[in-house]
Amino acid sequence: MLEVSNLRIGYGLAEVVHGVSFDVQAGECVSLIGPNGAGKSTILKAICGLLPAMGGEIRFEGQSILGLPGHRVAHRGISMCPEGRQMFPEMTVLENLQLGAYSRRREAIKDDIDEMMTLFPRLRERSGQLAGTLSGGEQEMVAIARALMARPRLCIFDEPSLGIAPRVVDEIEQTLLAIKARGVTILLVEQSVSMALRVADRAYVLEAGLIVLEGPSADLASNEGVQNAYLGY
Amino acid sequence: MIIDFIQQIFNGLVVGSIYTLIALGLTTIFGILGIAHFAHGSVAMFGGYLAFFLISTLGIGLLPSFILAMACGALLGVVLERVAYYPVRNAPPINSFIIALGLTLIIEKTNLLAFGVDQVIIPTPFNRVFSVGGVTMPELRVYVLLTAAVLVVGMTLLIQRTWIGMAVRAVAQNRSTAALMGINVNSVSMFVFALSSALGVAAGVLIGALFAVAPGVSEGLVVKGFAVLILGGLGSIPGAIVGGMVLGVTEAFAAAFISSGYKDVISFLLMIAVLLVRPEGLMRGKTR
Ligand SMILES: Nc1ncnc2c1ncn2[C@@H]1O[C@H](COP(=O)(O)OP(=O)(O)O)[C@@H](O)[C@H]1O
Ligand SMILES: [Mg+2]
Repeated sequence: MLEVSNLRIGYGLAEVVHGVSFDVQAGECVSLIGPNGAGKSTILKAICGLLPAMGGEIRFEGQSILGLPGHRVAHRGISMCPEGRQMFPEMTVLENLQLGAYSRRREAIKDDIDEMMTLFPRLRERSGQLAGTLSGGEQEMVAIARALMARPRLCIFDEPSLGIAPRVVDEIEQTLLAIKARGVTILLVEQSVSMALRVADRAYVLEAGLIVLEGPSADLASNEGVQNAYLGY
Repeated sequence: MIIDFIQQIFNGLVVGSIYTLIALGLTTIFGILGIAHFAHGSVAMFGGYLAFFLISTLGIGLLPSFILAMACGALLGVVLERVAYYPVRNAPPINSFIIALGLTLIIEKTNLLAFGVDQVIIPTPFNRVFSVGGVTMPELRVYVLLTAAVLVVGMTLLIQRTWIGMAVRAVAQNRSTAALMGINVNSVSMFVFALSSALGVAAGVLIGALFAVAPGVSEGLVVKGFAVLILGGLGSIPGAIVGGMVLGVTEAFAAAFISSGYKDVISFLLMIAVLLVRPEGLMRGKTR
């Protein structure tokens, strides 16, 4: 479904992703893990059309999406739940969710909103509140629901548990599993590697802009190097 | 005394509604692109001259001329955005600042070349004067206030209640995430320039009917527009509405009860006072 090959990305002249290849099959949940600054968010932004690539190729459903501007990528069926939640702070929860369905604005979206409010009952209580005044956990729920409102074929999550209270992190893990169970294809970047390996079918380990390891989650979870570096055994 | 008071409030609201029209454009453009669009006053005057030309030279009716001038204003806005501001969207802010100053000169001089140095007054058939409980309300002023009110309410509904309006607010609040939602940020910029310039032209036509279109009016207008932004809070639409009214009424009171020579001084003292006491503006950018 998504094929990234030999992708190179940088800021200005400094290359930070040095030729990365990976793929996500339809219906799969794939995780990208690695230390801070490895280039995970950079790769996700390039896929979503927010950053230009220096080289390589990105194909989605067989067609190249390299160089497409962000809104065109969104129209192709890729949704992103960005790092740091990225609310529209002075809009209500409801308006944030409506914006998630912007590319489907000519369709009826009321049922979708209702579905999201059922998935996250707390959002129903808060639907008229300005998103900027929500807690971090609540904002993350808005960000996830907003991404799903587009009915994406591929949904990308960038660190959904970052800076969230531990109690809410469990809730987010359950939500990701629920989204996966609906058949949405997922690309997950997550600093909590144990969580990522529980949710994902396969994972790639990225270090300093290069993929150093890949395999089924179970294999990586029992890999000694991964355990020492990320799982804290 | 109370009659004088109400009279000045009426006079102030008429002028204030024009300030609001100017400020709405400035605030929306600032909110979305971070540009101080100084040329906005000259765009307004261009619209005033154009309406005069359509009415006096081509003999087109008042209302069709008004609408046609607004449409031309919208087109001019798109051209300005594409040609002048779009190329420097990722450059340091000083670049767009200089471009805004240059544009102001270019449009101002173009107005001079195209329409001459004489002031023109847009002719209207509205010569009656109503008197409501001792308050004098010239028909023309009532229509100016109503026209401005319709445009302001229309613009507010457009921004608050429609998809394109929601897209405008989204881009103002979080540009890159707006793109992730599938919003074409460039189209939104063009739309904002078209809408703002059309409103600016409307303000220019109203001024031309009420006072006159003349070289030099535009500077005062754009300074007043920015004063309204400071009063109301940068990027805030309710702020532009309240700020415009406050500025208009303050000026009217200053002119009537102190001296018309001091009205600008007093309105700028008010602006400085707001900056000192409530630097975030009277309305605190709640709904952008
Ligand atoms: N806007 C930027 N300008 C310059 N360098 C950046 C920018 N954003 C990230 N980087 C650099 O790119 C590298 C990868 O960053 P990022 O993709 O955010 O890492 P990760 O998401 O894996 O923590 C880091 O070295 C970071 O310093
Ligand atoms: Mg990151």
